[in-house]
Amino acid sequence: MSLFHNPVRTARLGALLLVPVGLMVGCTDLKETPTSLITKDTFYKNSDEVLAGVTSVYANLRNNLESYYSLNSISSAEGVVPVRGGDWFDNGAWLELHRQGWTPNSVTGLREISDIWNQQYAGVARANIVLEALENVTVASGAQIKGELRALRAFYYMQLMDAYGGIPIATDTKVEQREQATRAQVFTFIERELREARAVLPKIWPGQQGRLTQGAADAMLATLYLNARVWSGTPTASGITLGAPRWTEASAFADSVINNGQYSLATASYTSPCGSGYFANFCYTNQTSPENVFVVRGIALDGLGFNRQYNTLHYNSFSGGGGWNGWAIVEQTFNAFDPVDVRRNTILSGPQVDLFTGAPVNNRQGARLIFTPTIANINAADEGEGVRLYKFPLDPNRAGNASGTDFTIYRLAEMILIKAEAQNELGNTEIARGLVNQVRVRGFPGNASKLLPAGLSQTTMRASIFSERVFELTGEGKRRQDQIREGTYTSGTWFGKTAAAAHKVVLPIPQAQINTNPKLTQNPGY
Amino acid sequence: MKLIRGLMAAAVGGLLLANPAQGQRGVISGRVVDSTSQLPMQSVTVTIEGTQRGAVTGVDGAFRLADLPAGSARLRVTRIGYSPQVKDVAVQAGQTATVRFVLQSVAANLGAVVVTGYGSQRKEAITGAVVTINADEANVGVIANPTQLLTGRAAGVNVTLNSGEPGAGAQIRIRGGTSITASNDPLYVIDGVPLQNNEAQARGVGIGGTPPIGRNPLNAINPSDISSVTVLKDAAATAIYGSRGANGVVLIETKRGRTGQATMEYETYAAVGVAANSLNPLSSAEYRDLLSREIANTNNPAATRAALVTQRNGLGTANTNWENELRRNAITQNHNLSFAGGNQTTTFRASLNFNDQQGVVLSNGFQRLQARLNGNHEALSGRLRIGLNLSSSRIQDDYLPFENTGGFEGGVFQNAVIFLPTNPVFVTDPVTQAQRFFETGPGRQERRNPVALAEQTIDEGETIRTLANVTSSFSIFPSLIAQVNVGSDRSNGQRNVYQPRAGSVGSEFNGLAQQSQRALSNQTLQTLLTWSPTIGNDIEFDATGGYEYTDFDNRDFSMQTRNFTSDAFTFNNLGAGSLPQIPQSNQEQARLVSFFGRANIGYKNRYFLTGVLRRDGSSRFGDANKWAVFPAISGSWLISDESFAKGLPFSQLKLRAGYGLQGNQAVAPYASLASLAPDGGARYVFGNTVFTGIVPNVNPNPNLKWEQSTQSNIAFDYGIADGRFSGSLEFYSKRTTDLLLTVPISQTGSAFVSTQLQNIGAVQNRGLEFSLDARMYERANRGLNLTSGLVFSVERNKVLDLGPTDFIETSSVSGQGQSGVNAQRIIPGRPIGAFYGAEFAGFNGTGNQLFTKYTVTRNAAGVETSRVANGTTTDPGADDRLVIGDANPNFSLGLRSNLTWHNIDASWLWRAEQGRDVFNNTALVYATKGAITAQRNLIRSGSETPEPISEQAVYSSRWIEDGSFFRLQNVTLGYTFKLPFSGGARTTRVYVSGDNLLLFTKYSGYDPEVFIDAGTASRGVDYLSYPRPRTYTTGLRIQF
Repeated sequence: MSLFHNPVRTARLGALLLVPVGLMVGCTDLKETPTSLITKDTFYKNSDEVLAGVTSVYANLRNNLESYYSLNSISSAEGVVPVRGGDWFDNGAWLELHRQGWTPNSVTGLREISDIWNQQYAGVARANIVLEALENVTVASGAQIKGELRALRAFYYMQLMDAYGGIPIATDTKVEQREQATRAQVFTFIERELREARAVLPKIWPGQQGRLTQGAADAMLATLYLNARVWSGTPTASGITLGAPRWTEASAFADSVINNGQYSLATASYTSPCGSGYFANFCYTNQTSPENVFVVRGIALDGLGFNRQYNTLHYNSFSGGGGWNGWAIVEQTFNAFDPVDVRRNTILSGPQVDLFTGAPVNNRQGARLIFTPTIANINAADEGEGVRLYKFPLDPNRAGNASGTDFTIYRLAEMILIKAEAQNELGNTEIARGLVNQVRVRGFPGNASKLLPAGLSQTTMRASIFSERVFELTGEGKRRQDQIREGTYTSGTWFGKTAAAAHKVVLPIPQAQINTNPKLTQNPGY
Repeated sequence: MKLIRGLMAAAVGGLLLANPAQGQRGVISGRVVDSTSQLPMQSVTVTIEGTQRGAVTGVDGAFRLADLPAGSARLRVTRIGYSPQVKDVAVQAGQTATVRFVLQSVAANLGAVVVTGYGSQRKEAITGAVVTINADEANVGVIANPTQLLTGRAAGVNVTLNSGEPGAGAQIRIRGGTSITASNDPLYVIDGVPLQNNEAQARGVGIGGTPPIGRNPLNAINPSDISSVTVLKDAAATAIYGSRGANGVVLIETKRGRTGQATMEYETYAAVGVAANSLNPLSSAEYRDLLSREIANTNNPAATRAALVTQRNGLGTANTNWENELRRNAITQNHNLSFAGGNQTTTFRASLNFNDQQGVVLSNGFQRLQARLNGNHEALSGRLRIGLNLSSSRIQDDYLPFENTGGFEGGVFQNAVIFLPTNPVFVTDPVTQAQRFFETGPGRQERRNPVALAEQTIDEGETIRTLANVTSSFSIFPSLIAQVNVGSDRSNGQRNVYQPRAGSVGSEFNGLAQQSQRALSNQTLQTLLTWSPTIGNDIEFDATGGYEYTDFDNRDFSMQTRNFTSDAFTFNNLGAGSLPQIPQSNQEQARLVSFFGRANIGYKNRYFLTGVLRRDGSSRFGDANKWAVFPAISGSWLISDESFAKGLPFSQLKLRAGYGLQGNQAVAPYASLASLAPDGGARYVFGNTVFTGIVPNVNPNPNLKWEQSTQSNIAFDYGIADGRFSGSLEFYSKRTTDLLLTVPISQTGSAFVSTQLQNIGAVQNRGLEFSLDARMYERANRGLNLTSGLVFSVERNKVLDLGPTDFIETSSVSGQGQSGVNAQRIIPGRPIGAFYGAEFAGFNGTGNQLFTKYTVTRNAAGVETSRVANGTTTDPGADDRLVIGDANPNFSLGLRSNLTWHNIDASWLWRAEQGRDVFNNTALVYATKGAITAQRNLIRSGSETPEPISEQAVYSSRWIEDGSFFRLQNVTLGYTFKLPFSGGARTTRVYVSGDNLLLFTKYSGYDPEVFIDAGTASRGVDYLSYPRPRTYTTGLRIQF
């Protein structure tokens, strides 16, 4: 101390040093309070906030147009994606999907098959968090919103059960490893949820068209019962051990949609820039379609519209930007169409013109672009091989790739075909014939000779209904379910596909899920 | 609070009273420097013999004794490890006597003082792995930012520039990277203040691709201002930085003024850069020739051949070399003006820097205008010292559009390869007769004229960054110094983009303009107390304790509009576009709080022990895991001072060993919270109205905690033949556990996204580092001096565990037909950077690629038990894919020499890395013959294979190349002289320098040193990077 000659000053300066020491005590708070994010404890407190949550559950529907749509189209007899020179190889993913060659760790096993699980379950999770919040907040139309969310959640579960068989069921937000329910248990869960939801759902949401209605829930139930034997059955290594049929309920709920009062088949009087009647149902103006029961809404805004046409269209198919020239319709499916069925016009074949200007277009080598049904070599297709689905025409006002098209998940024509199928299975073949012809007549305007004749056997009628579903619903994501119900999905052969192992009727549980949740058991055969 | 206010009042009052008495008494002011390094020495005790008066030197080596009686005073300066010195000084009333002490180390000639973080140490007392680079030696050639000073000069420090673009970022890896998802960047500390590593530049627009990867965080620093760069490598050295030390620490000290040495310096250089390499796309004639050959090739189907005839007939007549059209001789100029000086109490240095670099590709460059002021002042007889470092810079970046990506249509570099050589650059518009850029058609096209793309797109950035810190230290007693540092790092980045209506990109949007802003701010408060008591002559002891508080506040904003009626507004009037997009904004805040202590003890200048303890709190982690303790212990033993070592050939031999724990917290904030945000993808349309969805955007992990690395280090520092050869040999082992890893989680209806940030898995790095500095030839009488240095390092990385995840796919392959293809897998038992794919086995008779087929057997648990090659296949399956390469080098090497002969100096630096693989993604995509069916050009090598035109590009070992290289990084030749008729000019140096002059490599792409951001912990992937220049520089430095 005596080294310093002024102890008083030293003490004062020492005091200065205590200031930061004092600061130290106050500055140990490390609580995070995000400013551009919010936490769930502070949210879902009023109608608008609940609606923001509901919106996010719907937004997840767009995922149906990603990997799940690819599975339904490309792994069935509907579509094929040949390798086109340097394009569309993607490590063999498309060929693997088409050949049903997946395993838990294969190219599509790691990507598409894992994506479907995660995307559909994300919808479930989004629904769960809002449903949980609704337990603690009272909002206008609360009961209907709860029904809406439960039906949406059931829809996601239906896709999951369709894809994977037995899966875990979560109805709360607890993060935990859950037990796997059997497929039949999932079926029962979905059935109960949809039945309870339909009872509270409105027939329309005024001014908010696109939200899930009673009609949509009924369409889901009709679909559920239509596929009941598969979906309440048990997947095994040698295919599905079928469950009990539920044809009566399938017919009843299809009927409920038919008689709902909100829906009618589009006739020539329903017009659009893409044609009238049947064709107007798929136009970018189709939010006005009288036939739509449940759709993935699209609007011509980046990220909010429909763009699946790009998969099929050639680089030069339209002016102002080109398609991606990949997906084609399987030759056998195209050829199954009656040449005079106008619905075949939703598939582009032959010499091509600009879809906007009508001027002839060339391929990239400078020769006329011609789409041919035959693909000579699935590993080395040229630009024009394969005919192309163009059911959902491009929106001239699209933003980026986004057309204002609503993608039809359920529409009335399918409900009529579901009722027909159920009635035929119940032995009422003639009732079925009348229903099929209600739909079929639009394919053959003024050509009654093309309608189904009376007196078909139940078996023939069954085949006719499956065919009619192809003609009517190609490109709408139905073919895989139809073929599984029909029993032709794995055993069937078509261009680029030989018979696959019977256990492929369900996908493998993604390996990442098995790894992270020991309570899951891999599906038989994988 | 009241107490604190009172204390503050007392403190301020104390300061006001504290004016030193003047009058009949005098002052001694002085400075102590190290004899070898000439660097200031801190903590040297100065006493006046026969009195009780004394002082201790500060950071700048200065001391001051005021209020001394007139007459002669005998000053004695002592510091452990140095010979004491005594000087008699005459004190005159009312005057200040100046004195300078040059202390000699008593040990071998290695007594330099090294900055070690929150203080400095004599080099020989250091027990951790620390390497210092003298900036004056390293600052040769075009050094645009401080990280380049480290290139090839420090063992275990690997610097890879992302590309040859001016201002491009760099990957700096100290002893490799052990993090997979969290950052592997080191912590930069400038004049004691940790820098925020986040990219300061605002982001651009990613249309059909992601915006280019980040720029260098140190672009705002002028390399000429740097006096030394110190790299802390092991845990013993970095544990004092606790949670931020796991990736090593780079300490940058800037130059300061010195008492009585008023200097002024002007430095300038001008450089010209030329692109060093070409990808060799086909010329017009070669392209026609290839078409003809493919028309004749019967492996191609008849229809394809017919189509090619049509194509050949329709080709244009030009012969354009698009690479050449895009390139230029890039001029760089740099001006640096500084002046420094000071009196006994105040020193300063001020500098101004202007740097203007052109890119070797059209329409891009980098400009920096930077000013710095460093000032130091002392009062109260040198007991109170205040320092200020202030620097502000303005960086202007002129970006090249679509640098690395651009989606299907591609950016400048893609189109430089694919745009047909038969197309011209310009055409005459048939209507207006004006010259305009050639495009393949109006509107959005599959290919874009690359020159047009470069010239038409406006993409400019401006970043203003201000670094400021104030240091005050007060010696309460000579042995007890208290220090308070306050630092601030603020930057504001603005980015303006305009895609004109006529351009190949903008036409799709009818003009697109975007303005983006990014503001980063972090503030640091440090309080330190250093106690260095004198405990007998044999014991050296000091202890430092401190507290540090840092907060981060980062904001982003961007707004885009489209659909303009005119290009006249460019980006300046966003309202002129009629189609506004959803604006984006974001704010992130984080805090770090730390308490730390370090004690150094030395005995007989032979045995040293250092202990470090730091307790860190970070806001980024779960409530229960915010705090963690990071300890380290290390010691060293100067063996050569032991009597038994006298017979050894070492003039110095020191054994160092250390062990410690480091942390990594470099992940985005809020990952532990269940947060919701309006996600653009969560919007949906009801009726005709777009509703904004609010979604949980993350799976919260309330248990999130630090990633921890334990590192042990053992080393020998050696000197042979009186230190003529010296260096060190180090071994280290670093094991990182609780990795902050984004992993798939169990998704059963409660996860919002498919992954979660968790603490899972372990990675290990082991390595060896060797350095040698040799004074090869010293002949003072002949004026000749040659020194050489070598650094050599070997590092082995291994992933030990990934928790329940079998592997992580990473390094997504770019190119058409490559969706979902990954080039690398992170697999337990393998290094990060393992390439995974099929083995290429040549071509079959029809020219199709063949791959080795394997028969794999697995046990019941599905684990591979054997793998037998079984012929070849054209269609490799999951079993045919395996590890086919390793992006990590076997070893890396830096070799340098400095030669002086009278007034002439010369230096060179070689660098090598051996045994590393590079995936040439560029070749995979652009050396594929199928390109011609799409009227795309290709790289020449692709035209020489037997493949049929329809053969797809398959990622395989065919595209994994040996990326070993040996590079002449720099050669410099200088001449120093006194300028005649120059008046006050002291010395003048002129030099010529060349960078990247020679590159020996088998790699066929632009450059084997590559980095593209292709996914999690991706290494060694080359895709369309900006060509690296070869640069020739002439420079001049005048000191007055």
